[in-house]
Amino acid sequence: MTRERVELRQVVDGLRSEGLLPENSDDTVTAFFENLHETQPWYIRTMVGFGAWLASLLLIGFVGSIGFAADIGFVIVGVLFIGGAIFARLKLGNDFVVQSALASSLAGQALLAYGIVEVTGGNDFESVLGIVIVLNGILFFVFPDRTHRVLSILIAMSSLGFLLYSWELNAVVPILGPVIAAAMVFFYQRQGVIIARGKGHLIGPLVTGLMLTAFGFLLLSTVYILPELRWEFAFYPRPWISSILLGALLLYVDTRVWPQIGDVAGSRERAVFYGLLVAITAAAWAIPGLLLALIVIMLGASSGNRVFTGAGIVFLVVFIATYFYGIQVSMLTKSITLVATGATVLAARWILLKVTAGPVEGGASHA
Amino acid sequence: MTKFNIAASHSNVQELATRLGLSENACARALQLAELAPSRSDWLRYINHFLATIGALLIVSGVAAFFAWNWADLDYRVKFALIQAGILGTALLAWRLGIDSIGGRAALFASAFLVGVLFAVFGQVYQTGADPYGLFVAWSILILPLAIIGRQAALWILLQTLLVLALIMYWTQVIDPPNGWWQLAQLLGPLVWLSSTMMDSTLASLVFALNAVALIAWEYAVNRNIVWVQGRTYPRVIGFAALSNVLIPTVMFIIVASFGEGIKLGFLSPVLYAVASVAALYYYQFRRPDLLMLTMLVFGAILVFTTLFGRHMPEDTAGILMLALMLIGQVAGAAYWLRKVSRRWEAES
Repeated sequence: MTRERVELRQVVDGLRSEGLLPENSDDTVTAFFENLHETQPWYIRTMVGFGAWLASLLLIGFVGSIGFAADIGFVIVGVLFIGGAIFARLKLGNDFVVQSALASSLAGQALLAYGIVEVTGGNDFESVLGIVIVLNGILFFVFPDRTHRVLSILIAMSSLGFLLYSWELNAVVPILGPVIAAAMVFFYQRQGVIIARGKGHLIGPLVTGLMLTAFGFLLLSTVYILPELRWEFAFYPRPWISSILLGALLLYVDTRVWPQIGDVAGSRERAVFYGLLVAITAAAWAIPGLLLALIVIMLGASSGNRVFTGAGIVFLVVFIATYFYGIQVSMLTKSITLVATGATVLAARWILLKVTAGPVEGGASHA
Repeated sequence: MTKFNIAASHSNVQELATRLGLSENACARALQLAELAPSRSDWLRYINHFLATIGALLIVSGVAAFFAWNWADLDYRVKFALIQAGILGTALLAWRLGIDSIGGRAALFASAFLVGVLFAVFGQVYQTGADPYGLFVAWSILILPLAIIGRQAALWILLQTLLVLALIMYWTQVIDPPNGWWQLAQLLGPLVWLSSTMMDSTLASLVFALNAVALIAWEYAVNRNIVWVQGRTYPRVIGFAALSNVLIPTVMFIIVASFGEGIKLGFLSPVLYAVASVAALYYYQFRRPDLLMLTMLVFGAILVFTTLFGRHMPEDTAGILMLALMLIGQVAGAAYWLRKVSRRWEAES
């Protein structure tokens, strides 16, 4: 039986009856509900977003076509674009302004980074990446928009990835993905603390940005280079390093989730569960993305976060598809591997449900 | 307290906690009250469904990879037997699960899809020399009974897609085969080739007529209160297709109108576009309220006006500025009007 969804109003009423709402919060609650109700449907927001991005790019094209006598002009216009976008976003919250501000800020960042490099005479790709990382580190805190904050993390982390490849430190890449995933888990579990400290507006974009960045880095492990190109470059050397680190992280997440699934004292259930996790980690020796997907799905499912659960499932499908598309084995080997993996997953399901069947029947409180 | 009923989700509970500046304990309690964390039985249900789906998908992919590995070497009788077994198996599954269940619907759709695969393999094996439009005509005739029995939007969308493909094939292979560089589009893949068919006003208008007739028939059935057509998926998908059939040629006509000979675009598309848009704007505003349909129509109008202005604007920096300002005005006006219409519906209901 699926449980009935609880209404947000009931949550507010519950908090009020338990005295957990701050004093004089009625107006804030009413404004919050009205704001939620006023949100436009996705298709109108898409239309407005498309128009805003196109109009902003045309305006940027207009400014760019005027031309600058000196490189400092790019810096000034870049700062004006970013500053104007922040100001507009602070003052107004309608969809058109939100999207225009995003486009203006991104264009401003490009102009600013280019201008600084030209003015200082750095004139190289690495300097641009460095400036972009610092700039987005600042904008994450300063720019008052959720989507922009997610983009700031993505842009900064992607620039970091490019820097690592540029410095030929690609051996670090298999460690970076798991480190980002660990940071995501760390902040995800401390959301309540961060909200209580008045930084709730940062936590959602932070964990979402870290999740997407971790996905991006792990997808690099599936990059396939045609042998005919004779390119010796290793995009993702030794993926098993990621598997070990992500396996440890998966075990950690599961220790937190376990009390929801099984009897804390039930050592047999627990042993089977952890045994399966170790088996999955061993099976994912060359495919670390599988473990990251499981971590994200577990985190999402354990807290009823459908965005995380959905994102984890989509990443799992994409990762497996790209992995099997790219590996250099015959179609027959791919077929055998896929069928064997599928059969193992079904066997794992059977074992897990068999082991937990007794306690479920007895668990009347959850029925 | 409040008149709005909104289901609690992880994101809106978190947003509420942030706005109210809740303490750590209150925040945790809010998530508990929202009952978002799954119970033990929920967990076991998730694990059951998740592992069953993933396991089945992996095995099906493995089987598909196996056939891809040795498909060319398989005897034609084995190929036919496999596909026919698939058709029969999915049809039986639909019968067993019930054609109104999710599984039964998916099985019936798979059965209808495999009919086309059977025709394609038949064409490969026997090299009949027949024009490909015949495949789509035969496929649509054979799945018509399934669509009638199945009473599901997805099957009717498949049937409509096949009819459209048959018409395009018949036109481009029998009536008016493409020449010049349009032939190149056929080599660049089916998507490029299908898009290029929108560069012929007559063909695009015929496709529009086919989609418009289907849409009108469906809306007529909705008005007759037939229960299984009340969902909005079919009319929205077919409505989008019909609008694209006149909108794309209209926009392309504006862009390439002055390029001279060899262009098959004419005034027919803009005229049809204008008439259809006005009729649909009236119908979906006053007869059958549908905000998504209205949004598509308004967005189409913005595209046409912007293209028209962009084509004739002064070719200098002032022109770019004017275009940007005009676009801002249109989008802001459209959003304002849609919100106004939506509020009027709310007040009336």
